[in-house]
Amino acid sequence: MRKILFLSAILLFSIGQAFSQAKKPTLMVVPSDAWCNENGYMLEFKDQGTTVKVPDYKKAFQEDPDLILVISKINEMMAARGFPLKNMESVLKTLQQNSAEDVMMTSKTTGANIMENPIDKLKKVAKADIILQLTWKVNQIGPKKSVTFILQGLDSYTGKQIAAASGTGNPSFTAELPVLLEEAVVSQMDNFSYTLQNYFDDLFANGREVTLRIKVWNDWGKDLETEFGNDHQPLSDIIEDWLSDNTVKGRFSTTDATENMMLFEQVRIPLYYERNGRERAMDTRRFTRGLSNYLRDTLNIPNKLTTKGLGEASIILGGK
Amino acid sequence: MRIQFLTKRDGILLLFIFFIAIQSANAQKHKQKKADEETAVWRYEIKPVGIGTEGSYEVKVWSYSKSVKVAAEQSKKNAVHGIIFKGFSSSGRIPGQQALARDPELYQKNAAFFDDFFKQGGDYLKFVMLADNGNIGPGDRIYLGRREFKIGVVVVVKVDALRKYLESKGIIKSLSSGF
Repeated sequence: MRKILFLSAILLFSIGQAFSQAKKPTLMVVPSDAWCNENGYMLEFKDQGTTVKVPDYKKAFQEDPDLILVISKINEMMAARGFPLKNMESVLKTLQQNSAEDVMMTSKTTGANIMENPIDKLKKVAKADIILQLTWKVNQIGPKKSVTFILQGLDSYTGKQIAAASGTGNPSFTAELPVLLEEAVVSQMDNFSYTLQNYFDDLFANGREVTLRIKVWNDWGKDLETEFGNDHQPLSDIIEDWLSDNTVKGRFSTTDATENMMLFEQVRIPLYYERNGRERAMDTRRFTRGLSNYLRDTLNIPNKLTTKGLGEASIILGGK
Repeated sequence: MRIQFLTKRDGILLLFIFFIAIQSANAQKHKQKKADEETAVWRYEIKPVGIGTEGSYEVKVWSYSKSVKVAAEQSKKNAVHGIIFKGFSSSGRIPGQQALARDPELYQKNAAFFDDFFKQGGDYLKFVMLADNGNIGPGDRIYLGRREFKIGVVVVVKVDALRKYLESKGIIKSLSSGF
């Protein structure tokens, strides 16, 4: 009997532990625009008379084996640290294949197609929570070659650089470029992981940093200056009060506020929330859903909640 | 058959040899203890000499001792100690590395573990090896006076294996812990 009780306690503890894991950010290595430009992997098109250049990742992956070598090496070393990366080449292929399948898909009974609005189309891009932006440059002085290597970890939603490692390797007369590149990755990855760990430590201490936008449908008839509640507070103040009560240590910045929009940055959301007596991983959608429900239930404001990955959410007030 | 007992002179000689042997063993122990004390107060220098193979660092460690042999052997311990607690700065174009320990109080918080880890013949030996058979270069043996030497030895530390070992023992956090 005691054995069964003991085993049950262990099982319950394990389940509790499993549910209290924070959502693991996804990482993906992306060659930088500077690297793509330097190596001729750019697409050019005219946008209202202005020439716009965008990176041609597909061409880069098809034509540059050095890029694949570097990405593969970074992936191998990050996987050894428990962070396997999303492979951009595979993601691009999957996106292309899914698009083709969606176009071909029809309902057996009605012949209907898959529903997709312009926003859905825009969202179909390769993305990850943390982008590992990769740049390297081969320096040549006479017969000597060296490689300058830069790896930046960028938070996709705040746009902040959260980790980095860079340096120029020893010049060599004889070593081939792939060897120099491999050496650069091997020598820089520990420092990169160290700075990334600092970011994760901050995440666990102060919550996940996200961005929150409040917008207003133009047919609502009210705005963020409209007063609500018994104490006739402007809606913008009510929203700020809610954020102050629900963020970690009350931390957020009101970057912009007008009668029609509010932008909150550095909103620190907790990593967990409790449901049915259990801790579950919190994400931006879940956190913002709390505000959305509060506005709907307490102030009777219908609203629409949209999210962008793990780190950005918008509430549009005045309807669904 | 007659049993030949030792003469008085032989007995004294034997006692003398026995005494010298004990003294020598004690001196060796004392030198080792002193070297361990130097490690504990971080009296060693560490700098990278090359980019090792993946998952390892190739470093030169300067250790202090009255015995060249003890200093050379202590270099292994100092290298592992340095990589866990000190890190090292860049040398030329070889990048420096941060210490594996992010908490400056890590040793004190896990004193029992580290005392055992760094004891003579402890687990630290699993993660370090002497490069170039432990040969000491002509410029790497410096006499400092007062019968003290500063000895530079190149060693290779298997840092990935060391990190994983410390993670598995719960001494340091892994990058993915908490997720």
